Amino acid sequence: MTAVVDAEAVTKRYGEVLGLNGFSASFAEGITGLVGPNGAGKSTLFRLLAGQLKADQGRLTLLGQPAWGHGEFRHRVGYCPESPALFDWMTGNDLVTTLLRVDGFSRTEAAERSARAMTEVGLTQDGDRRVRVYSKGMRQRVKIAQCIAHDPELILLDEPLNGVDPVGRASLSALMRQLSSAGHHLIVSSHILYEVERLTDQIVMIANGQAIAQGDLHRIRDLIDSRPHVIDLETPDPRGLARALGAWDHVVSIEFVDAGRLRVMTRSPDTFYAALPGLVVTEGLTVRSVRSADDNLDAVFRYLSEGRR
Amino acid sequence: MTGQLDRLVTVAWMAFRGSVQGLRAIGLAAFALMPTLIVAGIASAHPSADTLAASAPLLFELLTLPIVAMVIILVLSVAQFRNEIDAEILVYLSARSVGRPTLVVGKYLGATAAALVFVLPASLLPLAVATLAGGTAYSASVPAAVAVAAVLATVAYGGFFLFLGLATRSALLVGLLFGFLWEELLPLLPGDVPRLTVIFYLRSYLSGAVSSGPLSGYGGAVPLTLALSVLVGIGLVFVVVGSAVLRYLETAPEKESA
Repeated sequence: MTAVVDAEAVTKRYGEVLGLNGFSASFAEGITGLVGPNGAGKSTLFRLLAGQLKADQGRLTLLGQPAWGHGEFRHRVGYCPESPALFDWMTGNDLVTTLLRVDGFSRTEAAERSARAMTEVGLTQDGDRRVRVYSKGMRQRVKIAQCIAHDPELILLDEPLNGVDPVGRASLSALMRQLSSAGHHLIVSSHILYEVERLTDQIVMIANGQAIAQGDLHRIRDLIDSRPHVIDLETPDPRGLARALGAWDHVVSIEFVDAGRLRVMTRSPDTFYAALPGLVVTEGLTVRSVRSADDNLDAVFRYLSEGRR
Repeated sequence: MTGQLDRLVTVAWMAFRGSVQGLRAIGLAAFALMPTLIVAGIASAHPSADTLAASAPLLFELLTLPIVAMVIILVLSVAQFRNEIDAEILVYLSARSVGRPTLVVGKYLGATAAALVFVLPASLLPLAVATLAGGTAYSASVPAAVAVAAVLATVAYGGFFLFLGLATRSALLVGLLFGFLWEELLPLLPGDVPRLTVIFYLRSYLSGAVSSGPLSGYGGAVPLTLALSVLVGIGLVFVVVGSAVLRYLETAPEKESA
């Protein structure tokens, strides 16, 4: 697949603070999730891509063009910033139409496109209300509307589901998939990992201003298979269970969490899960529950970011 | 797709509309009423017709131009870029395909038009009140000169303050220091030093445009056409420089989100 965004050792400083620290990643066609905790550098990357900031070092291109560039090329990019701030004195329709006019669309076409975009984000009924009275979720929707209304090739959505209610999340996620099916490329950031996991398998993970992993979600899971996994076990006999598990060479550590719970770290979770039932039977042990901390993307991210420290 | 002129008009109209509504606009409107209220207060003391007629132009030169108009223009011009960068909303314009010089010129035109909505009444209403309250009638040149001077002040100060909003994060503070120190103190100094101020050329213009009364006879004034050219030139130069600055300016706040 062709990369729509390429970053090579991109660094951005805010005085003494590093926003991005040698960030290198390729964002493929379709939907890519940019995943990382708050303060990881996601918004800095988006601002660089939107041409609002200039990288101090490194090379950053989108759609084959340098990110720090203005003018007509920007017509191919749509940007939905994270901040909820908007021109509060305008109505939703007015805002989207005016920004389309700024982009060079005629009055008629701007009005048509604005109406279509407002419908797509589910704001038709509230389009004539001032943005000032919009809820956070409605603000997110109008931000997305202005971002997609000019039909850009590349859509940058910084935390687009923030503040949107569950029903709205589902419809906006559906809209993102629909945009991707229609040939648009989307980069969607989030610090809530399951949101991205539901949207795409293609992710870039960022922490401390660096890309710590990228690619297919399953590939990332493979990537962490070599790293220890944490498994919590509930048992009435933690000492007996710990003694038995201690004999396994793939078990890295055993921790007594409380009177009835053990936390085991293993290098081979597949082997662990396969052998545990046999151990329980042969040793006559009782295990009430087994809970892996690696069930979701959150754990994947935690592993990877800790592995970089 | 339409041309740059259409985009320019859209940006200017957006800047104008944003400037003439909301609490800030109400505050500026109230502030703009100050000279009119003062003249009304003078009129209530029943001075002679000549004294009353002289009070309004004098107030225009000493209060309206250097303080009321200057503050109104400062607030509206700085808001165009600095406030929008700080509020993280300029990005909706600057991330689009419109040229950055178009943004600067459009916002300058919009802010100038919006400032005139407040500055012109602040300049002309006191003259009307003085006349209606029994003051000696003005010759046509007085209100005309006052109106043109108000426009010239808006053009010159507006360009400079718009540039300040692009050049510094402390644009409002720097603008106030400029207005109350530079523009007030330098005209008091001897020699050619007063020529370094905008107010010198505004007073020169008034002196050339009005043949009698408090607005005429400004000592050391330059010819009317020169004053007019310098004032328009100041506005244009700072708009051009501002356009160049915005081409290279990072328009996002310098921070990573929490």
